[in-house]
Order: sequence, then C-alpha cells, then structure tokens
Amino acid sequence: MLSSVAEKLYWMTRYLERAEDTARLINAVTLMMLDMPRESAFGWSSLLKVAGLDELFYRYHSSADETSVMHFLMQDERNPSSMMACITHARENTRTFREVLPWESWEWVNEMYLYARKELAPVKDRRARYDVLQGIIRRRQSIVGLLAGTMSRDEVFQFLRLGRNIERADMTTRILDVSHAVTFSADTPAGLQYNSMLWMNILKALSAYQMYRRHVSVHAHGIEVVNFLLKDTAFPRAAAHCLGEITEVLDALPAAPQVLSAVRSLRSTIDTAPPDKFTGQVLHSFIDDVQIGLIGIDQQIRKRYFRNHDTPAQEEAATATQ
Amino acid sequence: MKISCSEYKKGPALDELISPQGEPHALAQNLCHFFSTLPENELAERVSAVDKAIMTAGITFTVYTEAGNIDRAWPFDVIPRMIDGKEWAHVSQGLKQRLTALNMFITDLYNEQNIVRDGIFPLEVLAESKNFRPACKGVTPPYGVWAHICGTDLVRHADGRFYVLEDNLRVPSGVSYMIENRQLMKRLFPEVFKHYLVQPVDDYTAQLYDTLAALSPRPGTRPVIAVLTPGIFNSAYFEHSYLAQQMGAELVEGKDLIVPDDDCVYMKTIDGLKRVDVIYRRIDDDFLDPEVFREDSVLGVPGLMRAWKSGNVGIANAPGAGVADDKVVYAFVPEIIRYYLSEEPILPNVPSYLCMYEADREYVLANLDKLVVKPANESGGYGMLIGPQSSAEEQQKFARLIRANPRNYMAQPTLSLSTAPTLCDGGIAPRHVDLRPFVLQSKGLYATAGGLTRVALREGSLVVNSSQGGGSKDTWVVEGLL
Repeated sequence: MLSSVAEKLYWMTRYLERAEDTARLINAVTLMMLDMPRESAFGWSSLLKVAGLDELFYRYHSSADETSVMHFLMQDERNPSSMMACITHARENTRTFREVLPWESWEWVNEMYLYARKELAPVKDRRARYDVLQGIIRRRQSIVGLLAGTMSRDEVFQFLRLGRNIERADMTTRILDVSHAVTFSADTPAGLQYNSMLWMNILKALSAYQMYRRHVSVHAHGIEVVNFLLKDTAFPRAAAHCLGEITEVLDALPAAPQVLSAVRSLRSTIDTAPPDKFTGQVLHSFIDDVQIGLIGIDQQIRKRYFRNHDTPAQEEAATATQ
Repeated sequence: MKISCSEYKKGPALDELISPQGEPHALAQNLCHFFSTLPENELAERVSAVDKAIMTAGITFTVYTEAGNIDRAWPFDVIPRMIDGKEWAHVSQGLKQRLTALNMFITDLYNEQNIVRDGIFPLEVLAESKNFRPACKGVTPPYGVWAHICGTDLVRHADGRFYVLEDNLRVPSGVSYMIENRQLMKRLFPEVFKHYLVQPVDDYTAQLYDTLAALSPRPGTRPVIAVLTPGIFNSAYFEHSYLAQQMGAELVEGKDLIVPDDDCVYMKTIDGLKRVDVIYRRIDDDFLDPEVFREDSVLGVPGLMRAWKSGNVGIANAPGAGVADDKVVYAFVPEIIRYYLSEEPILPNVPSYLCMYEADREYVLANLDKLVVKPANESGGYGMLIGPQSSAEEQQKFARLIRANPRNYMAQPTLSLSTAPTLCDGGIAPRHVDLRPFVLQSKGLYATAGGLTRVALREGSLVVNSSQGGGSKDTWVVEGLL
C-alpha cells in the first residue's frame, strides 16, 4: 500500500473523528453551562482551552463570547480543527480513495459535507444548534457503520482504525481536562453536588454516562470517572481501549516495533497510575503526560509507515526486523 | 418532452440515424420506434435517473475557469449512436494500420531517420518540432512501439466516409466515459438492447492491462503496474482513478515514486520501497522527469528517463511519442503509411494546408473565413480558429500568428460533421458528433468497438470537447438485428 494513501486515510479518519467529537463536546458543554453555578468560573474560554484552540482563537478575537466561540469551533475556516474545516478536508481526501474505499463512501461523506455547509452556518439558538450537531454525529456514525459493514479488514481498513483511535484517545483526555478548567470548593454540600454534576456532564460529553452507570456506579465520582475513561478496556472511548485497538492494528500491519513500544509504554503509564493521580492539578499534569505519549505514537507511525523510504536498502532493513 | 422521429428536423448535414428523406436507417428503426413510443413521463424519469446515476458514481470532469476549477457531471445523451459492424471492421483495420505505421515512423525518427534521408519527410518539420525529444535518440523501446495507447479522432463527412482528424499519441483521455456510457445505457434502457447484437466495449481495461503488462522488464512475474496521475486537480482524474481501479493497478503521483542510483523505479509504500515494472503515465513529457525535461516540474519523477533508457521500467506512452502527435506531422501520415508498410491508407486524412509552405500559407491567409486553423501542438480544442464562425478581428489575429510562426499552424476545410439525434430542451434535434476510438499496441494490436462519441450540445456548434461544452453518447457497433 502506498504511504501517501495510508497517510491520507489516517488523516481523513482523524478529521472525521475530530468533527464528531467536537460536536459532542459542544453539546455537552452547552448543557453543563445551564447546571453550573456562576462562581464556577467555567466559561466559553474554558471550552477553547479544552479543545487546545485558545491561542489560535485570541489571534482573531479579543474576547470569548458564545457566538464567536461557536463560530470558531463549528465553521471558521481559519481554524483547521473547526468542524467545517475537518469535514471539508475529509471530503477532499475521500475523493482520492475511489479505488480503495467502498464506492458509497464518497457519496456519504459528500452528503455530510453538503449538510454541514447548509446547516452549520445559520445556527443561531442553542436548541437548533443541538439538533444540527446531532445531525453531524449521526452522519459520521453512519459512515463508520458503512465502512465497518462493507470493508475487508485489509490495510486500508487498519489505517482508518488507527486514525480513529488516536484521535479518540486524544479527545477523551482533552474532555477529561474540562474538570481542571472548573474551580469551586468541594468542601461544601453545594460544592459536592456541583462536582458530581460536572463529572456527569463529562461522561455525557463522551456518550459514556450510560455505560458508566451500568458498569461502574450510579454516582459520578471524580476518581472513578477518570479511572473509567482512562483505564477501562471495554468502553470504546476509554484511552486504554483505544490503545488496545491500536495494538491490534499494528499486529495486522507490517511490523512496527518502535510504534508498538511507544503504545506499550503509554499503556503501562495509564494502567499503573495510582488513583491519587486522578484529581486536581495532578490529574492535569498526568493528562499532559498522556497527550505527550499520544503525540509520540503519532510520530512513530509517521516515521514507520509514511516516511520510511530514503533508499531501497530500507526495504531489506524493514523486513529484517520482522 | 417526447421523442418523435417524424418531428425530427434533420439539418443539412448527413445524419447518423435518419435518412435525408427523414426515415430512420434500417439499423435505427427499432431504436427510433422505442424512443417514439416511450411515454413522455417515463422518458423524463429515466433521464433524471441517468443524471442521478452519474452524480452518484461521481462521473465527473474538471473545467478550468478563471474563477477556479469546477467539477462537472459528465454530460450524457441517452440516444445511442449506431455504426454497422461491417463498416466498423474496415475502420478498425484502418486504425491499426495507422498506429502501426506511426510507431515505425517514431522509431525511425529517433534512430536512422531513413524517411528524412529518402526525402519523404522534410527535415525542417523535424527540426522545429516541439515534441521531438533529443533525449530519446538511439532508443528503441520493446516491440518498437512508442505510442501504446492512441485516441484517433474521426469524423463522418458528407460523402459518408470516416476521415481521420487527429492522432492523439500523448495522453489521450475519454475511454472511461466510453465504458461508463455503456453501463448507463444497459442499466437504464435495457429494452433497447434486446433487438440488437451490440459489440461489448468493457473488455478495454483487460486489453489495456495486457498491453501494459507486456512492457514489464521482469517477464514471468506478475508485473507491478502504476497509473501516474498529475493529481486530483487534473481534468481527467476521474479516468486515472477509474483505470487504476479496473486494472488493479496502483494510482500514484510523482511524489510516490523514486529512482535511486540503481536506475530502477520504486514506489513508496508503508513497508518501504517496492519496485514498479510499468508506468501508464497520464502526464505530459514536459513534466515527466525534471532531470531531463522541465526542471521545475513537481509532478514528475527525477530519474525516470534514466530508468526507462536502462530498460528497467516500461513507460506508456513512451517519452517522445508525441513527436508524431502534431498537426503538421498529421498531414504526412498517408505518405508515412505508404513508406513503411507499402500499403495504401485505409482511412483518409482531411486535406491539410501547411502554413510552412508558401503556397499553402497564401491560400490559408486568403481563406481564413472558410478554414479551420489549428496550432500544431495544442489539445482540447484550445487556440483554434473556426473560420465560418469567426469575427474579422479573430481572423486578423490568426493572420498575425501564422505569419510570425508558420511552422506552428495548419489549416483544413471546415468539414460538415455528421449529426445524430440528441435530446435537447423541448425535444429531439440534430447535433454534430465525432468519434474517438482507442487503439492499443505493444505485443498485440487492438481497437475498441466504436469508441467515445462526443456531441456538440449547442445548436450548430462543431466543438465537441467536454472542456468546451461537449457531451457524449453511447456508441453501438451493431453486428446484427435480433
């Protein structure tokens, strides 16, 4: 398989995942804003910080009000991670995959693009916004279903799976970091109640609330939520599960010992983290470590699969290490 | 909208389906009956189903405009064009004869140049040919074939004969639309086929595969074939991707390939470098290899010419093949056929005036309002003057261009292209058509059954290029009636 095709597949699926996850994040945060006390200091700027886009945002805007933040996250082409930019990028890439993806993929991705073009722009009120974002999530899920239901588990499929899981692990850790952006005293009964609400909303942002309740607890406790979203191997958006998927992908692709060791190392960092790492400032820096680990995996993937051809001798070198 | 042959207003030109008396030709009777008895709403439904199928399948081409590139749906007319099988057998022989002679001519030009020495082909034409590549001198590729894929443009004149208008030996396109047009017809008008024995067209991709595979420098192993495209922004990208998919070949861009010091071509895969045996390139010579041709090319592959000259990779069409795809060289093709094959040309050329010769030039300059003037090296219908439809300013502009660079221009009488019934707003009307069959040569020799019929959708227009508002029709070579 051509490296350039693999790289485009990897990015196409990362971008689609990012668009969907952003939609989930916006919906959850909008609901959360209604629950939070005014003194929680959680504002639209916190959402930008979580998405890792605050610096870019303030290059174009002086203050973060709801309208400008929504525009920036949903449709601003100057933001390469805006939903519209992600979907446009994924659509352009899909056009070049005619010979590797099922023929309907282009049609479906194109339909999602046309929907986003038409609907994302004029969203004014929160109610309409919720529906439009659900529309994006549903379309993206249809595409995932189409690919899962019609594609052979070949290299093409594995690169799609790889991109999806890297992006998903990244987004899960970002959303966990919302907790850091919210500050209020946990000593008072009111504070306790808000805390529980905060964690519930974090679970909802990842569509994890129901599974958490079934498998962990009906109460949303900070440490248990973090534990679930980082260490659970059965929930598809938990970091450990994503890393497990990545490991399976690597087993199906040409051997990549360095990528595999980066994945194993991150997995063990997560698995062995004691619960006292999972609150407050300590959690924030732990999440930073996890994200650095994910960046490391991404770099190793590029090196191994996308940039591995300076001379033909490398062909031999690559086979020799298998 | 209803099709009725009795209301068809045949123009002055010869028509492919309807006789001068307004009756369908024998072959076309069943077809005309079918369309004239199809209820109005059903026709509309099927036409919209065709449009939808084209959008869904993404059968598009890109039009370059000042405002940017537009991806257009492929314009398709549902009334097929028919050619009698016996007539086609003759045309097919002519096409193969022509390509065989042209390939011998190219080998000769890059080697002994006997045809120049024998005074058949003038040295000055060769000396000024933009497409003669000195880098190819001394090379004889496998089977002595340079142009493996040729798209020959034919038109039917008022005398009923097919004439050759152009030989496209560089990167001819359109064959994917020929195949898709037939798929569309079979899906949406299956009833029409039951009266006819129509020669299939979809074996083309298998024939192309065989043609390319025969060029592999490593016989005995399954060759690795790559289709080299300039990328998604090229107008024929749909076709590049289509052909790669149909042949199970890799679709690559220049940046996917590399030629290291061992003079072999490799593609960059997720598992390191993989040797490529044959490249079906869809980019022009100029951009092929920045080491030899244009240094600023980012579409090509540095070292490709080294690899090809060392015999380590097959390239189709071979670099330098374009020397015979030149509207001035065209005028010499009948002589070329006689010279190399000692045969009379089966297919006639359109009479041509070469502006490099003073007598011809004076005639052209005096008759600009009657002739079609073409630059020697443009494709896609760009840079042409269609005399009868041109303004005085345009004619003056061409007079200046011709005087400044006579070698670069030739002229032909405006042919009365035949028409075919075409669905237009408000019914069925005659529109001018041409025909582009595709001819393949390497170890074997093959010509498509029919080809791509292009139709000038504007009334009276003679320009059929899709980049300039042309459409297309399914083309039936009919072996018999059922």
